[in-house]
Amino acid sequence: MTVTQAPPQTTTAPAPLPRRRTNLEPYLYLLPHAVLFFVFTVYPIGYGVYISLHRWDLLSGRQPFVGGEFFRNIFTPGTPQFDFFWKTLWNTGFFTLVSVPLLVAAALGLALLLHRPIFGRAFFRAVFFMPGILTVSVMGILWRWLFDNQIGLVNAAREALTGAPPIPWLSTEGLAWVPIVVGTVWWTVGFNMTLYLAALGNVPQSLYEAASLDGATPWQQFRHITVPMLAPVTLFVVVTTALASFQLFGQSLIITNGGPNRSTQSVIQYITEEAFTNTQYSSAAAMGFVFGLFMLVLTAAQFRMMARDVKGD
Amino acid sequence: MTDLAPTSSARTAPPRRRMPRDLPRFIVLCLLSVLFLAPVYWMISTSLKTEADTIATPVQWIPHNITLDNYREVLTSPDGNILRWTWNSLFVAAAFTVLHVALCALTAYPLARMRFPGRNAWFWFILSSLMIPGIVTLIPTYIMMLNFNWINSYHALIWPGLSGVFGVFLLRQFFMGIPRELEEAARLDGANSLQILTRIILPLSIPSLVTLAVFAFMGSWNNFLWPLYTVTDVDKMTLPVGITTFSQRYVTEYGKLMASTTLAAVPALIAYLVAQRFLEAGLSTTGLKE
Repeated sequence: MTVTQAPPQTTTAPAPLPRRRTNLEPYLYLLPHAVLFFVFTVYPIGYGVYISLHRWDLLSGRQPFVGGEFFRNIFTPGTPQFDFFWKTLWNTGFFTLVSVPLLVAAALGLALLLHRPIFGRAFFRAVFFMPGILTVSVMGILWRWLFDNQIGLVNAAREALTGAPPIPWLSTEGLAWVPIVVGTVWWTVGFNMTLYLAALGNVPQSLYEAASLDGATPWQQFRHITVPMLAPVTLFVVVTTALASFQLFGQSLIITNGGPNRSTQSVIQYITEEAFTNTQYSSAAAMGFVFGLFMLVLTAAQFRMMARDVKGD
Repeated sequence: MTDLAPTSSARTAPPRRRMPRDLPRFIVLCLLSVLFLAPVYWMISTSLKTEADTIATPVQWIPHNITLDNYREVLTSPDGNILRWTWNSLFVAAAFTVLHVALCALTAYPLARMRFPGRNAWFWFILSSLMIPGIVTLIPTYIMMLNFNWINSYHALIWPGLSGVFGVFLLRQFFMGIPRELEEAARLDGANSLQILTRIILPLSIPSLVTLAVFAFMGSWNNFLWPLYTVTDVDKMTLPVGITTFSQRYVTEYGKLMASTTLAAVPALIAYLVAQRFLEAGLSTTGLKE
């Protein structure tokens, strides 16, 4: 876009004092945020490199230089850092692979159910959206209780319906993912549904009218009109949901505490354990960088979509 | 944008024929609603049961002896104070929101409305930080908090997040859309840039300022990981972290556990009921412009 200059600047009289004032002004506006940006975004990145290349020992107060030792640990089979980092990274990836298709498909399904007018539509929308307003700890404590090994609601309902004995969901490898994934879908699907509802409202009705005149079945209309028209929002939903899933932390921490046998521990939980339980800050900082690289690949996709929105020069 | 009713009902058949066709859809929605509401119902009903009834078999779908003892005990527990945590969360979220919106507006203003050397370079420089995953700065920022002596203080919960730039981006996009003529007229009347910001730009930007404020408040209110490690003093904890200490304490006392989660959910539920329409519209339009 073309930016017209403020009148005082475009006048021919170049009085030095006002000119200087106008030139300094924008920087003064930028200053407060810039200070915080340097202190809490730019500096920590550099500081993180420094920490990861030294052995940070809070007790002795000494921080000897160790070079790439902590990065090497992550890539050297046999070290606990290697074993647990890659195991928990795999766990996080597994969670993402399972939860993203569910969260996209369920959101689209709910949006399609609610798109056309129906009695009680506002109520249904509110019901599906509402769980998302709970904080992760409320959601986590609730779903741990629902899937309690002995007397949780899920086991109770199962027993009432089929007479089957309770399943120890939380302490069985593999099954422990069920409450985490189901709880996450319940918790966040309403957000994606809202995005889909907005997008469905933007699909021109004339397309459907034309298709019906041509004798297209509802399935054909869905397949050839709805799905392509929703492609941009689907891309957005997939990327943002994948990013959020890769940040898995609170759900598995609270519902299973990463167990049994670290089978549901997320990589972020492992990094915080390395830092705050094992007080291996340097090792955790190094893992933060390696995991950050994985995240960066995912974020780049989102960033590109956002940059497309940036207007102007 | 979210009001789809007029356009879609215009093309469907008259109500008499539509009703039976919609009935299956209505039934499916009702069943799904029951599934979605069941966990919340179970949370509240468990919180109203006596401890023995919470683990009774067969399971009590409707509490037999309704009691408020769990709430009384949770609210007066010596191990933590839900009201105190709620206050901490409110204070931190409110302080963060006010500062964040003010900082973002101050920063977005020159980036959107002034011409000066380095404008685009600075915009892209700070915007590129959106690519940096939070986990990269987690440990160094924590060590900084140790060095600043900010562990167990509100400072740790407020200041680091203020360096965020998404709000700057959001407001800049909005500010750029405001007609330049308004600004020029004010300038001819002798208004300085601060007056233009506070009397023209900001009043015209209230929808986007409120959207940003809601996002900032919710983000701070729901923050979990960072407060979990930077605040270990029970009196300084925020609500999400505080109630997890109850979950460790009441590990087999489900009535008290559910009373505490119900109480923790109440502020968000009230806020949601008040701001529901706005919230959903804001979520569906922000960050996704076609």
